[in-house]
Amino acid sequence: MSGRAIFTTAFLLKGSFIVALFILIFTSSVSYKHTVVIAESTELLVRSYKIQIQLEQLVSYVKDAETGERGYIITRDSDFLQPYNTARDKIKGTLFALQYLTSQNLRQQHNLDSLLLLVNLRLALLKSSLEISSAENLNKRWLEENMTKGRKTMDIIRSQINKMIDLEVSNFNEHQKKYNREISITPIFTLFLFTVTLIFLIFSYLKINQDLEIQKRTNEKLLISIESIKHAEIIGEFGTSQWNLKTNKRYYSDNLYALLGCEPQSFEATVENFLKFVHPDDRHIVTNGVKEVTDNNPFPVEYRIIRKDGEIRFFKSIGKFITDNGNSKLYIGISRDITQQHLTEQALVERNRELEHSVNELESFNRVASHDLQEPLRKIQTFISRISEKELSAMSETSKEYFARIKTSASRMRTLIDDLLLFSRANKIEKVFEKTDFNQILESVRQELSQTIEEKNAVIRSASLPTLNVIPFQIQQLFINLIGNSLKYSNPDVPPEIKIECEIMSAGTSPILEGNASTNYYKISVTDNGLGFEQKYADHIFVLFHRLHNKSEYPGTGIGLAICKKIVENHNGFITAKGIPGIGSTFTIFLPA
Amino acid sequence: MHILLADDDEDDRLFFRDAFEEIKIKTKVETVNDGVELMNYLTQPNIKLPHILFLDLNMPRKGGIDCLLELKRMDQVKNIAVVIYSTSASEEDIEETFVLGANVYLKKPNDFSTLKKTLEAVITTNWQYHTSGLNRDNFILSI
Repeated sequence: MSGRAIFTTAFLLKGSFIVALFILIFTSSVSYKHTVVIAESTELLVRSYKIQIQLEQLVSYVKDAETGERGYIITRDSDFLQPYNTARDKIKGTLFALQYLTSQNLRQQHNLDSLLLLVNLRLALLKSSLEISSAENLNKRWLEENMTKGRKTMDIIRSQINKMIDLEVSNFNEHQKKYNREISITPIFTLFLFTVTLIFLIFSYLKINQDLEIQKRTNEKLLISIESIKHAEIIGEFGTSQWNLKTNKRYYSDNLYALLGCEPQSFEATVENFLKFVHPDDRHIVTNGVKEVTDNNPFPVEYRIIRKDGEIRFFKSIGKFITDNGNSKLYIGISRDITQQHLTEQALVERNRELEHSVNELESFNRVASHDLQEPLRKIQTFISRISEKELSAMSETSKEYFARIKTSASRMRTLIDDLLLFSRANKIEKVFEKTDFNQILESVRQELSQTIEEKNAVIRSASLPTLNVIPFQIQQLFINLIGNSLKYSNPDVPPEIKIECEIMSAGTSPILEGNASTNYYKISVTDNGLGFEQKYADHIFVLFHRLHNKSEYPGTGIGLAICKKIVENHNGFITAKGIPGIGSTFTIFLPA
Repeated sequence: MHILLADDDEDDRLFFRDAFEEIKIKTKVETVNDGVELMNYLTQPNIKLPHILFLDLNMPRKGGIDCLLELKRMDQVKNIAVVIYSTSASEEDIEETFVLGANVYLKKPNDFSTLKKTLEAVITTNWQYHTSGLNRDNFILSI
């Protein structure tokens, strides 16, 4: 989430800066425009005012000339002509000033031209009135006419000037109106812009603040993660390395240094420096390994490290390429100290080899037992049979007795070898499981043992037995051995009764079945009324060559029950024995359902 | 009837000859001491081939299996009836010799009278008949 939030914050910062800049430029230009407009208005106002003053002055100069003239006409004192004489120059100056002031207004210039004509006319009338009054024979009528004309002209001048002033005033008003119109929208607009900017800035501030908070929390989490990884590295005996392919910069974790027997960050993280620690014979493994790593194949490599203190350790490294938000490709390597594992594995391999050796020896023992031991025995027995046939009658009684004992020992040896072979075959033979009906197995066992059953007058009762996936001949061997035992170790006075029972049960109900994957077991028990045995021997009787009876009383090799145990174990089952001396014994087998 | 035994064991050769002497059927018994001698015997020029060959499996120089393999490839001798005559009766040996074309598998008996009975049974077998109906069940001969 942090990547996206930081990206948004950066975008927001950039955006608000651009918007603020835009608003600043806009408001500056608006203010500049306002200032310009105000300056223009002021100038206009000043000009109108100057024009008005000049016009007033013009009128007053004309009036001065008029007044002077009148005074002269009445008094004939030439002093009164003083204003009249200066008026012309003054009027000229005023007109020049007006011409300059109105230079930008065509209408006003036009008016000025008319005013100029009127003023000249008035001055001409003044001049002619002066001439009339100065003449020897004063023509009173002419003077009156002239003066009336003058007064009328003066009226026109006044109205002309008023007209010009009015025009100035209306010009100014119009300008003022336009200015007001322009200026009246901008405060609202500016205020609006400022408000928007303010909202925008506040929003940005809040958002950035929020992101900073998130970033702070993320940083905290990151810090915890980093600490966890550091701890994990120490406990798990591994170190990490990073390699930025863009900048070619590398970083090795503290524990990687520790695994090399160095202080954290005590040398620069470079391939060359790392390779210094790799066993010279294994350096090519590391350099090739890095090249083989692809996006989908971490390419694990194993190599030796010579630590700073000279100790050789075994390392296993895997690598991975990742691409971060900034599109830099990173190589992440994880190196693990697998020395312990390696040593254990080596010990295991060694042990396996020893075991294999033992198995081979056992197999050659089987070979010896099956062939090489049998051959001399067979010859001994054949010679015995030859002597029995031909020479026995010629022997002394003692020799006959000894000879009988030789014969018994030889046949016992024969039984031992045969049983031993059966036992090793229970181990070795390929285990082919077939669906097998136990009732049928039992039937063939009965047939095989029929002679003994008849001799001993035995009764075998059996419950209905299941059909299971087993190795048929082994199960048959199992029943032959169990029932054979019951017949063999029977009470001499009582006919043997053998009872075979079967039930299905779940693993939890019996302590010996606990913790096994198969939940249901078939419990098949073989109970007899024979000699039984003391319960303390219950476990001993399954041990190879272990016998409870003297072999002169009951012949046997002590292998039969060991074979039974082996067969049951081959079927992932269990076998137990229970005995009461003189009452009988029960052998129970548990086979996975 | 001409009978040949290939067996490295002196005692076994003795039992074998003695047994045939006591059997009432008229036979001519010859013995060789190992597989190499056997092959030499069979490849002599103008040799009168035996009717039945008794072959021990475990012999020095050349074993019974190798002999069987070789002589079943030789046109003139491949039709001789071969009786495997061995101490062991391991499944592998029985399987292999059956596949290679032996006619009977005979485990050396533990007493002399059984040996006599068994050998008598072998030589009185109608080989023509036995070979045509040969299967794994009647391959192993037990008396």
